Parts: sequence; C-alpha cells; structure tokens
Amino acid sequence: MKWISTVSKKRLRIVMYGFILFVIAAIVRLFIVQIIQHDKLTELAKENWDREIPFASERGEIVDRNGEVIVTNKLAPTLYFMPAQNDNIEQAAKQIASVLKVDEKKLYEKMNSKSYLVKLAPEAKNITYEQAVELQGLKIDGLYTGVDYVRHYPYGNLLSRFIGFTGYDTQGLAGIEYQYDKYLTSKDAAIRLFTDAKGNTLPHVDDEWREGHQGATVQLTIDLEVQQVVERELSQAMKKYNAEQALAIAMNPNTGEILALASYPTYDPSNFEKVKPEIYNRNLPVWMTFEPGSTFKIITLAAAIEEGKVDIEKENFYDKGYTIVEDSRLRCWKREGHGQQTFLQVVENSCNPGFIELGQRVGPDKLLQYIKNFGFGEPTGSNIAGEASGILFSKEAFGPVEHATTSFGQGIAVTPIQQVQAVSAAINGGKLYKPYVVSKIVDSETGKIILENQPELKRTVISEQTSEKVRYALESVVANGSGRNAYRDGLRIGGKTGTAQKVENGRYKVGDYIVSFIGFAPSNNPQVVVYVAIDSPKSSVVFGSTIAAPIVGQIIEDIAPIIGLEVNREGQLEKQYRWGDPMTERVPNLVGMKVDEIMKLQYPFHIEMHGTGKVVKSQLPEPDNIIEVDGTIHLYLGD
Amino acid sequence: MPSLKFTYKRLFIISAFILSIIGVIFIYSAGTYWSAIHYEGEIPFYIKQSIYLILALIVFNIVSNMPIFHNEKTWISLYIFSLVLLVLVLIPGIGLERNGSQSWIGIGPLTVQPAELVKITTLMYLSFLLSKVPNGERVVRLQHFLIILIPSALIMLQPDFGSVFILIVSSFILLFIARYPIKLYVAFILLGVAGLIGLIATAPYRLKRIEAFIDPWQDPLGSGFQAVQSLLAIGPAGLLGHGFQQSRQKFLYLPEPQNDFIFSIILEEIGFLGGCLIIGLFCLFIYSGIGLALQATRSFDFFAISSLVAMIGFQAALNIGVVIGLIPVTGVTLPFISYGGTSLMIIWFIVGVIVSISNRTV
Repeated sequence: MKWISTVSKKRLRIVMYGFILFVIAAIVRLFIVQIIQHDKLTELAKENWDREIPFASERGEIVDRNGEVIVTNKLAPTLYFMPAQNDNIEQAAKQIASVLKVDEKKLYEKMNSKSYLVKLAPEAKNITYEQAVELQGLKIDGLYTGVDYVRHYPYGNLLSRFIGFTGYDTQGLAGIEYQYDKYLTSKDAAIRLFTDAKGNTLPHVDDEWREGHQGATVQLTIDLEVQQVVERELSQAMKKYNAEQALAIAMNPNTGEILALASYPTYDPSNFEKVKPEIYNRNLPVWMTFEPGSTFKIITLAAAIEEGKVDIEKENFYDKGYTIVEDSRLRCWKREGHGQQTFLQVVENSCNPGFIELGQRVGPDKLLQYIKNFGFGEPTGSNIAGEASGILFSKEAFGPVEHATTSFGQGIAVTPIQQVQAVSAAINGGKLYKPYVVSKIVDSETGKIILENQPELKRTVISEQTSEKVRYALESVVANGSGRNAYRDGLRIGGKTGTAQKVENGRYKVGDYIVSFIGFAPSNNPQVVVYVAIDSPKSSVVFGSTIAAPIVGQIIEDIAPIIGLEVNREGQLEKQYRWGDPMTERVPNLVGMKVDEIMKLQYPFHIEMHGTGKVVKSQLPEPDNIIEVDGTIHLYLGD
Repeated sequence: MPSLKFTYKRLFIISAFILSIIGVIFIYSAGTYWSAIHYEGEIPFYIKQSIYLILALIVFNIVSNMPIFHNEKTWISLYIFSLVLLVLVLIPGIGLERNGSQSWIGIGPLTVQPAELVKITTLMYLSFLLSKVPNGERVVRLQHFLIILIPSALIMLQPDFGSVFILIVSSFILLFIARYPIKLYVAFILLGVAGLIGLIATAPYRLKRIEAFIDPWQDPLGSGFQAVQSLLAIGPAGLLGHGFQQSRQKFLYLPEPQNDFIFSIILEEIGFLGGCLIIGLFCLFIYSGIGLALQATRSFDFFAISSLVAMIGFQAALNIGVVIGLIPVTGVTLPFISYGGTSLMIIWFIVGVIVSISNRTV
C-alpha cells in the first residue's frame, strides 16, 4: 500500500478529536481548581505550610468574693516533635522515654509518624518543669517544648464538688468549670513558622505570631474563709458520726449571695477519676432532694402569722401527743405530747399537732400557695449545675392528710437551697431573693467586666411585721427550744431543727435519718443564713437538735468575725436553763476593784490572781461573758 | 511562499524548542532547592538539563539529516536491538535499580532507559509492517500483537507500568489509524479495562493509587500525598500565579518537583493563564505533527509520524492529567519539560526522526 487510505486519515482525525476533548477537560479542570476552588485550597495550603508551636494561654482563674484564688494554673510543658528534623528517631525516643518514664515503643511509633509536627501526647503532655529542663539539656533534634498548663488547686479538696474539674485538654467537665467553660477557656497563642517540608525557614515568607488570649476570671460569691470553716465542721461531723454524706450552705439572706456551699465526702479535683461519678457529679446542696422535716415548719408558721390566723404569744394549744386527721393518727414526735402550751412554745417544741393546727387554720389552697411563693417546687435559678426542683403535692392530691403532713414538713421533698432561699425570705422582711454563686466574670487581660450578677428580688412573700415575729419565734427556738445547742452568747442566733426519715423505694427507712438545722444571725437584723444537713449519722440520739444545731452554732460563731457580725447582747433572749445543761453565770466586772474587796464577795467561781498589787487592772474572761459555775476568772493586778 | 509542509515543520520544531527552553527555565525554579538539599555539591539540575538540551539538539540535527531513518529496514534491526537491551537491563550487574524498578543501563556517567527506545522502535516497526498490507486486504495480524506484547512483557519485568501503558496505548492508536476494525476496538477497550483491573488486583499499591485518586484527602499524608500536594500547589496560584520563582510547594512539599510534578510548579508560578499557554504549545506541537503526517505521501511515513506524535501527545496528556487530578498518579514525565537526560534526548530523537521522514522527497 503506497497511498494513504482516506479511512486512515479519518481515523487520525478521530484520534485528534479525542485529544481536543482531553484538552478541553484539562482546561475546565484547571479552571475549577485554580479559580473556583482557589480560596478553599489557599486555606488548606496555609495549613500545609505553617508549623505551629503552640504557646498555651492560661485558663481563667476562679476566685472568691475577695479575689482569693481558688483555682489557678501551673506550668506543665507539652513536647512537640518534627520527625523530619531528626535522623535517629529511635535514639531520641529512647532518651525521652527514659526521662519521662513512659513506654518507649509507643513513643517511638508516635515520633516516627509521617506528620510534620507531632504532639507527643499523652506520653509527654504536661510534663514537669524539671523534666522539660532535663530534656532540653539533651539537645534532641526536632524536639520542641510547648508552653502548657494544668489546673492547680491551692486549697486541694476545698469546694471540689461545686467547682468541678477539667479534662485532658483542660476543658471543663463538671461544676463551675463546666458551666462557665465558655468564659474560662483560653485561646492558645502560637508561633506560625512558614517552613519547607523539613522545617527549615522559607526564604520569602515571614513567620507569624498568632495571638491567643487568657480565659476570663470567674469571681464567685463564695468567701473562702467561711467555706473553710464550714468544710472543717462538716468533715469533723462526718468523722464523729460516721455519716454517709453531709452538706451545708451559707447565704447572705439580704442579697442571695452564697457564701459557702459544701458537700461531703469531697474529692481531689486533680484526681477526679479515682472517685465515683456520684461524688463529682452531685452538688448536694442543689441536687439532693429529701423530706425537709421540721425546718419546713417555718413556712407554715410564716403563712399562719401573715394570714392573721394566730397570735403566737397569746394563743394556746393543747397537744395530747397526736392529732386525728381523716381517721389517720398523726403523732407528735414526743409520744406523751407537749400538753398545754402557747403557739410560741409549739414552735420552740417543734410540736407536730400544733403545726397541723396552724396549717389547717391557713387552709390547704392558701398553704400550697405560700409554699410555691416561697419558691418550692421549682429550681431557685441559682444557675448551679444539676439543680433539682423538688416534689410537691399537686392540688388534686392535696387531701387533708397531705395538707396536715406538709404543715410539719413531711410527704414533700425539697432541696437544701430551696430551704435556704425560703427561710431567708421568712426572716429578712419577706423578700425572696434568688440565690447566686457567680458575682462577676472579668476579662483577665483588659479587666473589662463581661458579666455581672446583682441581687435579684423575685417577690415579696410576707410582710416585715410577720417576718419580725418569725425571727422572734426562731430566736426563742434556739434560746428555749429544740435549737438550744446552737445558742451562742451575743450572736442572737435563731433557727429551726429538722429530722427526717430517709425514704427508699417509697418507704421510710427505719433508723436512717437526715438531720438538719437552719440557723441565722443576728436575729434582729439577719446577715447570714446557715443550713447544715447530715445524712445517716450513726449516733445514739439522732436529732437535728443534737447533731446539726451545734454545728450551725459553731459555724456562725467562727464566721462572725469574718463576715463582720458584732457581738451584741442587746435584746437577746437568755438561754433557759435545763437539767443537764452546765450551770452558767455572767462574768462580773472586777476591774478597778481592790483585792480584799473581791475576797469578801461570795462568787461561785475560782479566782486566780496574777502579778502583784492591790487593784485589778484587767480580767479574763471579760465582763458579761458566760462562764460555767466553778469556772476560773483570771485577774491581773497592779497598783 | 513557503509550502504548507514547510510551515508545519517550522511550527513543529519551534514549539518543541520553546517547550524545551521552558523546561530548563522551570527546572531552574523548581529543582534548585531540591537539588541543593538532596544533591548537595553537585551540579544543579538546570545546568545539567541545559547540557542535555544541547546534546539533544545535536542528536536532532544528526537524525533529521540522516536518510537511514527513512529506511524501513533500519527499524527492524533497531527493534531487535532494543529488545536485546530490554533483556540486558534485567540482568543484575548490568541493569541499575532506581526507585524500585530495574530500568536503567549505565555506562559510566551515562545512563539510558531501554524502555524509552523500545517505544519508538515498536511503533516504527509496526508502521513498517502495516504499510506493507495491500489496500483492501485484511489488516489484522497476530504478528502485530506479538510485536507489542514482547517488549511490554519485558518492561513489566522491570517493572515500569507507565512505559508499558504508553507503549500499548500508542501502539493501539497506531493500529486504529491503520484501519483495524472498529468492532475489534470495542473488544480491545474491554480487554484493556480487564487488563487494568488485573494489574490493579495483582499490586495493592495500584489500588491505593486509585483510592487516592478518587478522594486524595482521605489520606493526605499517605497514598493521597502527591495528589494533595499538587492541588495545594495549583489551587492557591489562581489566574496569574505567584510569579516566577515564587512557588512554595517546591520547598520539599512536592517530591522531585523538577520531574513528574514540574507542571504543578509551573501552574503555581504562572497560574491558570500560564498553564493554558503551555497546554497551547503542546497543542501547537501536536497540530503541526498531525499536519506533517497528513502531508506525507507514503503510508509508512503517515503511520510513523502520526503514531510518534500520538505517543508524545498521550504522554503529555497523561502527565498533565495526573498533575491536575484528572487521572490517578502514574509516574510519567512531561515530554520536553521534565528533568532527565534520556527522555530529553529520546524526545528530540523522535522530533528528528519525524523531521527526517517528512524531509524525504517522494
């Protein structure tokens, strides 16, 4: 065949068309990649080029109302590695593993990966400063120490069940750390190195510093000193009574600021994984829901006075030890009854039939309305994680028996913080304030306030006059009644005990109680409300009056100087003597008296003289304090 | 007024020359950093490539003026010679292994790839046989397939999948042009697909390449690495590119940027428009090559020129397709532009043969 066939020429053209088709496809594809996907690929390429060595910024601190640090950060570097920069990765892994005492094989696998920059985590995450220095001394090629932090708790377990903790990447996992994570979270800074693939600096691109920022400071309403007192008392009670759990709240009744919030047992937030989730997930003062017992009688009392249904000092009530309501025999805690008593004594004695009477006088609908007005049946809005709402009787289920038991605090379930909120309103002049724990959130770099909480008045539930009567009645509970163990001279503590049987599977558990006491001081102008509940104390006498009341008394006594409560006896109800109480007297003023004069007086005390001279210059204890009979008064003499 | 044939010839040579110069320029830009890191102290790639280009032009000059290459019988001997080389390259000690395949024969500093040569001799020998088939007679011969399959099998032993692929595809284009029945071609394509599946099934790394082609981002540091890095070079360049010498991906992100992926760097530095310009130059080269084929008066000349041009065109398309992500990564260089002495000399040898054939006066 010498001449070229036309078929062949046609076939060549077909091949050419195929080629043209490819060229068109190629140009379209180029257009897509270079023009349409330009921005997206540019972003990806930047990531590809930059090598970031992170400089962690500090997570926000959590501080108390006075700016005392509760949770802060501790330097704990994290190692980074650029595999391309090291020729002997095996050796490097060996060196690092021996310093950090971690598995060499795993570390090697990580270091020998195909990435440009490997974060050596978890093996070399948050190492100690000393380890970092030691490793830097080894001068391992391609090993970089990145600034990093871990959470530091200067007070250890203190507040742990409220504050919560952070996880592997310092993200908040529980408590305040979790709830305010958005504010506390920091943004890491980093040096962005534009390098070749091996990490050498590129000739015509400048490195960048990517700005980070620190997390914001969360300031709580908590007072660390108050908290320490409260937790000390709770921990002692836990030991003394071998209790299952314990909890406490201290609140300023005039603002709703929580001063202390404690749950026991506690845990170490840096080793949270060692305890059960029930421990770190449950903030008892807001989570725990139980029958309040007698502390709830304050609400019935307040309602009855407000409605004008009782004059507590003048009206009498006879307690025969029980009341029959719709064929149910509702017993007083005192089997033989309290007999004839004023309603003030009904309160002092925590007499159940007396409170049933008060509840009946108020009426079921009104009582239920008061209970709701006092904030029961719904979360307080304290914005503390895991708050429960409690359980009330519905209007339909609120029969006479339910009405009667509710009057003295049985058959319903409430949270501790609801009780504190309600009692605060009952004694502060009738104003129901929303409890809160975060006073403000401040940008730690600029000092700018990001969020600030102010006291929030929800509503007025009773009048000032009623509140005054409630205060008086509760002060007399402490002076004369079931709260006597909380009595502290000069602090005018008022309060109410509570003892509730625990409920399990819908039945009362025999011999298993939650004992509580809610107290406040001073009763003429309350500045603090303290609630303490001990769950399942093991003791021969399990009553709020014997276990919880003394704790609240001790707490108020110890925090009085911290929160500025003045010792003032004016108008104070004197504690009544009861058999078994120590005999006490007030200390006479002996300063300025002559020694021989004193010797003539017949005091029931031991007198010890110190120094020489004829006149008393000073004395201990000071005048007007309470001293047990047979106690000793020290006199310091001079001329 | 110059004849049409003369115009085609001039366009053909000029486009080939411009492409080669562009090659040297971008080997300078793309390969300098790589060679400084990996071949410290050695002569930079662009100087070597310049020397290769001078040598290649000398080869071209000699070949294009040697009538011996018009002679069909020359190609029979050259075909046998290239087969011998293909056998020799497999013998340890003679053949050199690079990047996992034994495809080089070296004498001193000179190394050649017999596969490059066999692609040409196979096409030329086939063209010769096909031109002997009398008009109207059945074209299909078993002999043709043997001529293609023997070198293919030998190259697969190295192994060098890219070369076999180019050899088979360009041979089949030749058979197609030589009036092989269309029905048979449908069968060929089915067979080819089956063969590809077979190849993929026998070597898992090929399957990985296909996977990486379909979605390179699922393993951007492993099997999708080259594809991803290539896209990261091309994408940010936009319409006009970052400018000459301004590539970032050449800083060791793209492996061997002076070689298989040089077109990525070109696209990165001179952008979409520059890329179209290069593609345009290839089109011009192929267009003038086809023009030369159509100007031929003998069927041997026609078959020879069109199959050689088709081979270069196919190889260029394969490389560009890989770079822009149209085709899975195959490891084929870009004719004229990629760094490499053998390939540059072979390609100018081909240009020389084509010019020599079209120089024949009847």
